[in-house]
Amino acid sequence: MSAPLIVAVPSKGRLQENTEAFFGRAGLQLVKPRGARDYRGAMADLPGVEVAYLSAGEIADALAQGTVHLGITGEDLLRETIADMAKRVVVIEGLGFGFANVVVAVPQAWIDVRSMADLDDVATAFRLRHDRKMRVATKYVNLTRDFFSRFGIVDYRIVESSGATEGAPAAGSAELIVDITTTGSTLAANGLKIVDEGTILRSQASLVAARGAAWGDAEREIARRILDRIAAQARARACREVRTRFPGCDEAMLSQAKERFGVVAPFGGPTSSGMLTLHCPPAAVYDLASFMRERGAQSIVVAAIDYVFAPDNPLYARLIAGL
Amino acid sequence: MTTATTALQPDTRAETLVGAYERAGYRRVAPPILQPAEPFLDLSGEDIRKRIYLTADADGRELCLRPDLTIPVSRDYLASPAAGSSQGFCYLGPVYRDRGVLPAEIVQAGIESFGRSDKAAADAEMLALGLDATAHYGIAEPEIRMGDVGLFASLVAALDLAPAWKRRLVKDFNRKTSLAHDLDVLTLHTAQNKPEYQGVLAALERSDPKAAHALVTDLLSIAGINTVGGRTVGEIAERFLEQAALGAATTLPRETRSLIEKFLAIAGDPDEAAAELRALAASAGLKIESALDLFESRAGFLAARGVDVSRIRFSTAYGRGLDYYTGFVFELHDPSAAPNGPLVAGGRYDELLGRLGAKSPIPAVGFAVWIERVAGGGGQS
Repeated sequence: MSAPLIVAVPSKGRLQENTEAFFGRAGLQLVKPRGARDYRGAMADLPGVEVAYLSAGEIADALAQGTVHLGITGEDLLRETIADMAKRVVVIEGLGFGFANVVVAVPQAWIDVRSMADLDDVATAFRLRHDRKMRVATKYVNLTRDFFSRFGIVDYRIVESSGATEGAPAAGSAELIVDITTTGSTLAANGLKIVDEGTILRSQASLVAARGAAWGDAEREIARRILDRIAAQARARACREVRTRFPGCDEAMLSQAKERFGVVAPFGGPTSSGMLTLHCPPAAVYDLASFMRERGAQSIVVAAIDYVFAPDNPLYARLIAGL
Repeated sequence: MTTATTALQPDTRAETLVGAYERAGYRRVAPPILQPAEPFLDLSGEDIRKRIYLTADADGRELCLRPDLTIPVSRDYLASPAAGSSQGFCYLGPVYRDRGVLPAEIVQAGIESFGRSDKAAADAEMLALGLDATAHYGIAEPEIRMGDVGLFASLVAALDLAPAWKRRLVKDFNRKTSLAHDLDVLTLHTAQNKPEYQGVLAALERSDPKAAHALVTDLLSIAGINTVGGRTVGEIAERFLEQAALGAATTLPRETRSLIEKFLAIAGDPDEAAAELRALAASAGLKIESALDLFESRAGFLAARGVDVSRIRFSTAYGRGLDYYTGFVFELHDPSAAPNGPLVAGGRYDELLGRLGAKSPIPAVGFAVWIERVAGGGGQS
């Protein structure tokens, strides 16, 4: 048997739960054949895949090095860890969970600081007054340096912080911070505010491929099958299946429905008896049903669907284009 | 094609050069290659992290391979009993910078001169000794580029501007490639981002400064805020009120801007430039005599040392892009070679020793010779 395709997934917390749910929805159940404490797993029903449970930071490293083929991790960690990101990885898709922003936050008491330009000025004034540079506590050393450089801010020092960064200004170990936030409530609780234009990155968990991994025919084929299921599931999630049959169901009605509700007819137009299957965006389902009932539909059945397989595979196409 | 020269192979030509510096009264020193990283990061900025080779000792202190010799020589001088007195040092050895595909090891010779109060003469001597280095390597007429950061600083100090504007202009002179563009950005930027408390600021602007300061300080104190993130309440109040001053003139006054642009457009040989600067200062009523006197005196010392002053390409806008220079700066280039960085570069850095911990100000000036470049070895910046 050839070497397996290695998929790195987060080993703990909400990110792990969301990742398992994400693969689960695509019919790819992550299993640990050797027990729950094992850090190696597999995908049920899909031989040739090895699942590596790593911390989100390790996943970014592993993707950069090419020691895994695919991985799920936060975009913040990718951008922080990998200097030449476009050369090393292909971001296939944002997954719609793990949302967080990397932001510049200063003490709320700094009423004279609103914009990054203010911060620039305060940084220089701080150095002149205190004969030392303002300290920025963060674990995002590279993101911070690049972002500050873009605003011409030079009078600062980075203090590396691996946990409870938001407490640094109150503790006196830094003047301000660059950290990740979802709602901003932790920042507020620590007496901090986000600087205007100070959002460095809007991040979410992403499915990422390593360009440096061994991508032989076998690996590509397994990746194609994984991505095909994910794409089919994503397509299915984006719509509801609507079925009906009534005499007034004709091509004219269909083209009107397409225009007004963005529906597609996966199996073509209505049959001679007026039978029709539509895929409709979830938010437009009720309006579509009302529209068809006004035209004589007696019964309309709406169902959630598991998969929509199609000839194209946009995720796999993105992977291949990126490699 | 490039072979790295290492300190282990004696380079007789470079040794001869440094020997001449020793005979001129500069004591040869060889600071350790492994240095604490802190002073470099502190003085050169976080951006240098990308270009230096960092490591750590068992206690977690950050160390680096020295990316230049100015800071190590300065630190050794400060730690010595001679600190504060007039001392001159020379060196020859490798420095290390990550330059992508180019070799990371760069051999430099150079001089650092500390504590001389005759600044104009010391500046001129550095340029003359730099020219000795290019002559030693057979480069007869290098292009001489010269600037004077002190002139711009004195212009800004003489302008009727809010302190915040002055800080910004001085900082950005060292930073930006095109200050004209920078002035645009600053002007537009401030116009678009009116402070949050515009109305309050406008009201405060017309009030007694001391009372306004007390009011803001009190308000912050009522909120239970004392010192936050290293900035005192007084400091925050002060800058908050500075914004009131900025708010009154949200754009740089047009005539000020045009004056700065005229000033920065002055270029030529030092004699021509001095005449133009005197004329501009007189017409605008700027008090920048002491900086101009130093500038002219330096040109006199250069002529006295046999430097053909008419060959010097001086520009008021020229600053070498490094924070720690405070006055005279210069670079020597090979006019016949493809542009690949200076052969010799240096300048005055009167504030550096203070920032490294000197109790009282110590004037300092120096330069470095890129040995591979003067030797035509193909080392590029």
